[in-house]
Amino acid sequence: MIEPSDTAVQPAAAAPRVGIEALNAYCGVASIPVPALFAGRGLDPARIDNLMMRERSVGLPCEDPVSNAVNAARPLLDALPAGELARVELLVTSTESGIDYSKSVASYVHEYLGLSRNCRLVEVKQACYAATAATQLAAGYLASAASPGAKALVIATDVSLVDERAEYAEPAMGHGAVALLLSAQPRVLTLDLGAFGAYSYETLDSARPAPTFDIADADRSLFTYLDCFSNSFRDYATRVEGADFATTFDYLAMHTPFGGMVRAAHRKLTREFARDRFHAVDEDFQRRVAPALVYPTAVGNLCSGSVYLALASVIESADPAAVAAGARVGLYSYGSGCSSEFFSGLIDGESARALGELRIAEHLSARVELGFDEYAGLLDENKRCLVPERDRDAAAGLCRPILDRYPIERDLLVYTGTKAYHRQYEWLPLNPR
Amino acid sequence: MPPNATDVFEVVKRTTLEVLPELPPDAVTPDGNLTDLGANSIDRADIVAIAMEELAITVPVGEFQAVHDIGSLVAVLQKHV
Repeated sequence: MIEPSDTAVQPAAAAPRVGIEALNAYCGVASIPVPALFAGRGLDPARIDNLMMRERSVGLPCEDPVSNAVNAARPLLDALPAGELARVELLVTSTESGIDYSKSVASYVHEYLGLSRNCRLVEVKQACYAATAATQLAAGYLASAASPGAKALVIATDVSLVDERAEYAEPAMGHGAVALLLSAQPRVLTLDLGAFGAYSYETLDSARPAPTFDIADADRSLFTYLDCFSNSFRDYATRVEGADFATTFDYLAMHTPFGGMVRAAHRKLTREFARDRFHAVDEDFQRRVAPALVYPTAVGNLCSGSVYLALASVIESADPAAVAAGARVGLYSYGSGCSSEFFSGLIDGESARALGELRIAEHLSARVELGFDEYAGLLDENKRCLVPERDRDAAAGLCRPILDRYPIERDLLVYTGTKAYHRQYEWLPLNPR
Repeated sequence: MPPNATDVFEVVKRTTLEVLPELPPDAVTPDGNLTDLGANSIDRADIVAIAMEELAITVPVGEFQAVHDIGSLVAVLQKHV
């Protein structure tokens, strides 16, 4: 049990500890370096610095939001002791990549994860914010002890639809899913229950009006992201006496559409709430924020899973001694349209041990690096992913050459096609011994 | 006395030079625009945020849609002082 080092945030008396028991990120089996994508599209390389992205994950035509979600969650559930799988009583998928106007991604995920029939299942949608809404609502349910010993599985899952029309957004988009197992035995993150700030309003900064493309107003989106960050933190500070942007949080994990946006947000809030420290803003960024960017700048925007990939990045990239001593992380979730929340929680050495079991960094390194032509050759088939088709075969011929180059052993759920609107999947062993 | 348009322009100019320190001061004019002066999207957001703070105003995001140069930015800010 760790003691919060900062008395500004105190859990409510007698409230159970709830939070993230286990976390895994599935970031695809293929990637492309951002400079290669810039070169292939003829984008201005001078803008790479502002983007602060090194590489991004690329989806295959045999992948979709269901397979991504299952591939993220399966390793978590396989590690559970016997009998505990049945305690997963809530499954929520959070996605902007819906596959049906009625039938949830969760319904398929439930099947391929072998969850109990006595488990609630549901899908949530609010751009890149929804997984946090689900996490906070699940945390409240768990803290209520309405069902003692229950676990909840929240999975943020998405696919990318960008192509050359997205211009500078194309190199920043990610692919994959993040699975969060929530319970009253948190190992990865103990939530500061009751310490949160929310801020939402209607605006059209970015959206996905059709199954084949996104729309985005980059300037407006940056503005609303920053506006919501200020105001959700302000709301947090009304609930948490003495909350100080500069000193309460040892690390900051933020929703990361691209690295440069996180840097801008940190600068803005430092200026607004810790002006006297602005002269040292770069050093503060390196210490408290940069560890949260290591994974996101190698994957791309994971939508509602992004802030949790940033959390994993902190736990595995920050100074291990500092993490082991116990640290408070401030988290900022933002979804276009728009909705946001600032919240916080505690991590320690157990967080690092729990995450280490999932070997996230090893799987990131294992992604097959694609050249630009190979990447571009996948896009037409990838764009069919969410388009309603009664019958369809996934383009296995495009996937096989890439899957055959995957260097480590793992099982992968793949989408094989659709029959009478029913999506079909099978397990594929990669690189079996 | 509330700031007039010239005062607001001076705030925007000072803020622009703070965010883009390599610019010569007379490069910032009402008919110029921030992008041409070398400001990327994050610089532009910084400039607007700092200017609003200095003027102690908040402007709804939607009103910036009409901004296409420094003069129109000054006009939008001025409406709210």
